[in-house]
Amino acid sequence: MNSTAARVATWRERLMRGLPREKSDTLLLLGACALVMMPHAWHLPSWASLAASALLLWRGWITFHGNRMPPRLLLLPVVALLMLGVYASYGTYLGREAGVCMLVLLLALKLLEMRARRDLFVVTFLSFFVLLTTFFYSQTIASALLASAGVIAVLTALMSFQYTGVHPPLRRRLMAASQLFLLAAPLAVVLFVFFPRIQGPLWGMPQDAVRNGTGLSDSMEPGSISELTLSPEIAFRVRFSDAAPPPSALYWRGPVLGHYDGRRWTPLASALPSSRQVLGRGKPVHYQVTLEASGRRSLFALDLPAGPPQLENNPVQIQPDFQLLASQPISQRIRYDAVSSLDYRLQANESAVTLRDWMDLPPGYNPQTHEFATRLRARSANDMDLVNAVLQMFREQNFRYTLRPPTLGRHGVDEFLFATRAGFCEHYAGAFVVLMRILDIPARVVTGYQGGELNKVDGYLTVRQSDAHAWAEVWLAGRGWVRVDPTAAVAPDRVERNLSAALAPGAFGSFWSLQGPQGPWLTVLRKLRDNRDAIDNAWNQWVLNYTPAKQRGFLQSLGIDNPDWSTLAILVMTLGAAVTALVALPLIRHREKTDPADMLYKKLCQELARQGLPRAAHEGPLAYRKRLQQSGLSAERRLAVLGFLELYETIRYGSPATVDALRRTRYGTPIQQLKTLLIQSR
Amino acid sequence: MTQTLRGATDRWLFRLHGAERGEVVLNQRRVFILPTKPGLAFAALLMLLFVGSLNYNLAMGYGLTFLLLSCALIAMHLSFRNLAYLHLNPGRASPVFAGEEAQFELHLSNRRPYWRHAIWIGFTGDGLPAREQPCDIPARGDCVIALQAPATHRGWLAAPRIRLHTSFPLGLLRAWSYWQPEQKVLVYPRPEDHAPPLPIAEALMNEGHGIGGEDDFAGVRAYQTGDSMKRLAWRQIARLGNDGTLVSKHFEGGAASEMRIDFAALPAAMDTEARLSRMTRWVLEAEARGMPYAFRLGSASHPSALGGAHRESCLRALALYGQEA
Repeated sequence: MNSTAARVATWRERLMRGLPREKSDTLLLLGACALVMMPHAWHLPSWASLAASALLLWRGWITFHGNRMPPRLLLLPVVALLMLGVYASYGTYLGREAGVCMLVLLLALKLLEMRARRDLFVVTFLSFFVLLTTFFYSQTIASALLASAGVIAVLTALMSFQYTGVHPPLRRRLMAASQLFLLAAPLAVVLFVFFPRIQGPLWGMPQDAVRNGTGLSDSMEPGSISELTLSPEIAFRVRFSDAAPPPSALYWRGPVLGHYDGRRWTPLASALPSSRQVLGRGKPVHYQVTLEASGRRSLFALDLPAGPPQLENNPVQIQPDFQLLASQPISQRIRYDAVSSLDYRLQANESAVTLRDWMDLPPGYNPQTHEFATRLRARSANDMDLVNAVLQMFREQNFRYTLRPPTLGRHGVDEFLFATRAGFCEHYAGAFVVLMRILDIPARVVTGYQGGELNKVDGYLTVRQSDAHAWAEVWLAGRGWVRVDPTAAVAPDRVERNLSAALAPGAFGSFWSLQGPQGPWLTVLRKLRDNRDAIDNAWNQWVLNYTPAKQRGFLQSLGIDNPDWSTLAILVMTLGAAVTALVALPLIRHREKTDPADMLYKKLCQELARQGLPRAAHEGPLAYRKRLQQSGLSAERRLAVLGFLELYETIRYGSPATVDALRRTRYGTPIQQLKTLLIQSR
Repeated sequence: MTQTLRGATDRWLFRLHGAERGEVVLNQRRVFILPTKPGLAFAALLMLLFVGSLNYNLAMGYGLTFLLLSCALIAMHLSFRNLAYLHLNPGRASPVFAGEEAQFELHLSNRRPYWRHAIWIGFTGDGLPAREQPCDIPARGDCVIALQAPATHRGWLAAPRIRLHTSFPLGLLRAWSYWQPEQKVLVYPRPEDHAPPLPIAEALMNEGHGIGGEDDFAGVRAYQTGDSMKRLAWRQIARLGNDGTLVSKHFEGGAASEMRIDFAALPAAMDTEARLSRMTRWVLEAEARGMPYAFRLGSASHPSALGGAHRESCLRALALYGQEA
């Protein structure tokens, strides 16, 4: 233990002091590059991360031992090998992913090929570029902080190479770079807010720019949603214009699934055109949704959207089954305004032909369920009664709600209804729809999200992947499509409150949610999470969604009505100059602190110069005084001047005791005496 | 033509005038700043980052771009501040011989509360080798630096124009300034390389055997530092016993024994510079051997003597012969 500590100390010593400057600077640069490359380790193929680390370590080893750099002949095969690896992993050299991978490898290789001073700048600039590419993958506050640390590290390394003789310790250099960073920050904010924005992309966004996030897919099979509910990732955020509707009304409609193959639910291949007849009652709800990038075309709206929202450059259509589909996958966070009716009557006059699509079932599945349906049908002829009977069965028999249901075989619905009786929403919704269809009631699965969490800090409702849900819709004569949530029959809490509340405590181990049993520290934690979410949301709303439109809106709110390009250019120049001046003035402003005695001495010299007796550059006060004794000044002036100079000499060069004694005379302070003498010398 | 035009531009743009007497402060009008080559490359990088952010709609890409741009702007201020308001004073400049390097001492004083790092200083001008020295000046501190300029001709050598520049802290921008101090160095003639022996021979020859005839020998006196070993009066020293007292022989200035370094006495066929060069060598040699010498050159005429001040005035006369200033 002791010897380890001693060894660590020696190494530290060696690192801190023993290393010559050139070496420590290079190691610092390597560290900065490692920091910059680090975030890429999460998504680069593992061989690329390993190769980059190995190259960095190799360079570090060379530096530490003062070995020679590898010759180009040795590097060339390495480069060729790495390029082959890139091709093997991506199948192309084009595109974003392959480009990022090559860039990271290039930076690592460049470090092994640093010879001239110019190469330092090449490495630095490459590092900044690599930093930019990390934002393809994550633009959270955490990645912003990591990137800031990267910028400071690279700046420190760059600065370290600029020192000549004196090389301050690392801590001082780090502080100098941080100071530079902090001084630059306000100006960067001004530029960010006011720099004229152009709507991208400049050229076609490559296909791989679309990021596949986690989220609802447009198919459903047992397990697909329950898996999703493990993710605390945010699906979207909502701000209501008025008060938020009650949690039980928060059904966010997503993909509607009508085709069943015995296991998987998928959308109907070609839904026949149906009437768009909606009868909305009550006050429509207005809200704004900020949807995270999902890589899919679905948009979410409260049941039931009154119309398609508007998206720039990406028209949205409302499907016959009232799901919202954009033309392009949602590749970045978007925001849209939507209107919904919570109380509605949907397609009550639908034709039988159109409805037939929603009654298809694959033959040869679930014989037990068919048998059960026949018995049900015999008991009641009323569709509504049948729905209620099934819900009652779910409610009263020992059905369980669980995230870890047993796996089901070929006759999944049979097994679920009569054997396992344990499932998650996709089991209940799927089984319910199958049962309804056997009963000749048109039915479909609706997937989406249910609920959401209202953040008390900023008033946004946050809907997470864990709120993913599936429910059913049945078509009843005279009433149209009616939402039925069979899960609610089993676990009413799921709908009324939230998912984690519906699960028995302990059923899910250390589930991330902070709901459930309330305790004082849970309340605190929850508040903390609300705050963090509010910060994240503000970051998204203000930083990441600062689009040209938002900039326009912001400038208009500042009173600039028509912010065209040139106005913005002038604005950014003016503000930029003002902020630069504000930041830089303390840097260059400097008042020469002049001693009052010196100031008076200067005045006397000016005065005497005016009278034709300038002080020579080499003359001190004593020499000057001696020369002035023989000058042609009038006696009384000469007396004053000589007295002044003598007093000045005493103040400036006399011992502290003498000056102290002077202070105690009855002619006032020495400075006052000087002033008097100066006046007399005129 | 271009030369004069450039000169005019320099004078106007960089405010280059004659030599400046005394202390000079590099105020903001004297410090110029432009991007370096890496700085220009950095600007290109910023464009690239901007276009990338635009195309991929990376809000934080914009953030990074603007932050780096701001860093460059702040670095501009820091580079400027690194050089501006520096106080410059000429220091000592010791005489040298032609063919040697003249040393000009410069005092840089920093009256600000921050360090100034990596300021490069060097002489600039036609035919001057591009040699620069870096220096760091502590907060409220001073730095003394000696710059070398080749001294080719005897006479006064004025300090060439000095250029100070720095690209600290990031190397993206370079601030520079010029300074022409009023500082000069006296350049002595180059001592002749294979000069004939000192013109002492004939004087000694006349005396026949060694040291001093009766007429000239004036007695002995206590040894003084600088007396030649040859003049030690060994007989007297032996007689005085071995209490360690040294005495040296003292000669009265008899013409025959006096060594004269005289311009006019040199062969008329030699050209002036060659004669000055030989006289320089002789002065140095006489000093080295501790032999007093009389010196005559034009209007300068010094009686026989030895020592620093004598040497100095002789060399000065040699340096400035024909160019009284």
